[in-house]
Amino acid sequence: MAVSAAKPGGAPLLTVPSNVKIRRAANNVMTGLLWLCACGVVLMLALLVGYLFYLGYGALSWHFITAPPSEVTAGGGIGPEIFNSFYILCLTLIFTVPIALLSGIYLQEYAKSGRFRQIVIFCAESLATVPSIVMGLFGLLVFVYLLGWKFSALGGALTLTVVNLPALMRVTQEALGSVPDTYREASMGLGATRWQTVVHVVIPSAVAPLITGIVLISGRIFGETAALIYTAGLSVSVNNPYDWSLFHTAETLAVHLWYTHSESLVPDVARIGNGSALVLLIMVLLFNIAARFLGRALSARFTGRVS
Amino acid sequence: MVEAPPVTQDKVVAENVNVYYGSFHAIKNASLKIPAKSVTALIGPSGCGKSTFLRAIDRMHDLTPGARVTGKVLLDGQDIYAPEVDPVVIRHRIGMVFQRPNPFPKSIYENVAYGPRIHGERNRKVLDATVERSLRQAALWDEVKDRLHHSALGLSGGQQQRLCIARAVALNPEVLLMDEPASALDPIATSKIEDLIGELKNEYTVIIVTHSMQQAARISEFTAFFHLGEIVEHDTTSNIFTRPKEKRTEDYITGRFG
Repeated sequence: MAVSAAKPGGAPLLTVPSNVKIRRAANNVMTGLLWLCACGVVLMLALLVGYLFYLGYGALSWHFITAPPSEVTAGGGIGPEIFNSFYILCLTLIFTVPIALLSGIYLQEYAKSGRFRQIVIFCAESLATVPSIVMGLFGLLVFVYLLGWKFSALGGALTLTVVNLPALMRVTQEALGSVPDTYREASMGLGATRWQTVVHVVIPSAVAPLITGIVLISGRIFGETAALIYTAGLSVSVNNPYDWSLFHTAETLAVHLWYTHSESLVPDVARIGNGSALVLLIMVLLFNIAARFLGRALSARFTGRVS
Repeated sequence: MVEAPPVTQDKVVAENVNVYYGSFHAIKNASLKIPAKSVTALIGPSGCGKSTFLRAIDRMHDLTPGARVTGKVLLDGQDIYAPEVDPVVIRHRIGMVFQRPNPFPKSIYENVAYGPRIHGERNRKVLDATVERSLRQAALWDEVKDRLHHSALGLSGGQQQRLCIARAVALNPEVLLMDEPASALDPIATSKIEDLIGELKNEYTVIIVTHSMQQAARISEFTAFFHLGEIVEHDTTSNIFTRPKEKRTEDYITGRFG
């Protein structure tokens, strides 16, 4: 191999060749640009949160977040909507998490190659690109009409399951994929079965990204609107605002926000809208913050204290 | 150089082993006899197939998509590739230590207890005793006995590798396979691992892949020289290093290639 001759020594360090000046300028310009874009992201969130606080803060009260909504008069609250949002979220997670987890495990740990794996991935990706309003109409046909459930919490949750399954499967796959193969080798090398390896080594090592992913998707489910309008309905349960029945009409907070602005007859639309938007935003932000902390805490717990 | 012990029964016998990765023929008709309670070194230039051969003894190729093994590997005379044999049983009886230390992201205790646990041991006293015995065998007990429940990832590279050895010997394997166990370690950690291997052969049959001929000469009684997927020569370590029969072995030993 030819080695180029060494540069003659002795050049003064402070005379900078012109091409270094250009490279240095380009580096500085790009550093600034990247920094600006990153700041832009922060700024956008800050503006959004700040403006919503400014508008919605006045609407917030204990009465507002606990009272049932009003159909025609001013002074309605959003208590049952908050309850419904959490209720549908929990139902959706109960359906989504096991299926997503198990199918993700299958794709990442068992079906290393092969046609069936590609078919599953293709289906999941196609499912992920279907707009949620289309899923909502599908839910309307299947759960509301075909099964005759009318508008129901269960129908809404099942529709959301279909909407979020691909994303959560992807989260599972990526979380498991982040676990180094050397762990799997070590475990299998000790005579563990594939399943023991998954349960005792792979999942505990992937618990941080898994929890983070699940909580982030929970935030999305919490704010989902289009898929619920035709499945869970636009009103809260008539018998009991905090209704645990699977088959009651269950308007969520996000749907309520859309409904008051587009259909409702109440005179204080702006107040309810701003207040609901603020509560929704705070909840979703809390999900994001919780995702970070939970992920970190659980990861420490499952991987032993770092000395 | 260790003197070869009197001939004992062969613990592992490879007969015409071939390994393919897809269409690549990685190991060609390798046959080898490995006596019980001895150290056998597999040497040869990079890419010659010594690690591939080692992994065939533990059925680790079952885990690699596209890898295929033909031929026989006999453990005490029984073929580990016979169709009715479960690889889980094989890997229970044959332990493996990998090139890079790969402790689980668990505590030191949990790392060592992992093997016995997955094979059904639940008694805490038995597990405690196994963990202590294994860590002592791996010459790590004194360094970690006060922090057994701290993360194994806080250990140094050399300690992590001894932990991996402890994790393997916790199962009392009959054969211990080591794939360049000291290649990622500094000289002090390396000499600790080498001393350890000298101890381990009193109880286990050790097969070690090594890149270093000096290491092979220091720790092994038998040496097999691999080149281009074939076993060129297999003999006592002293014969390989002082009286090689094959020209290729001699060229490699004397540093003419590799």
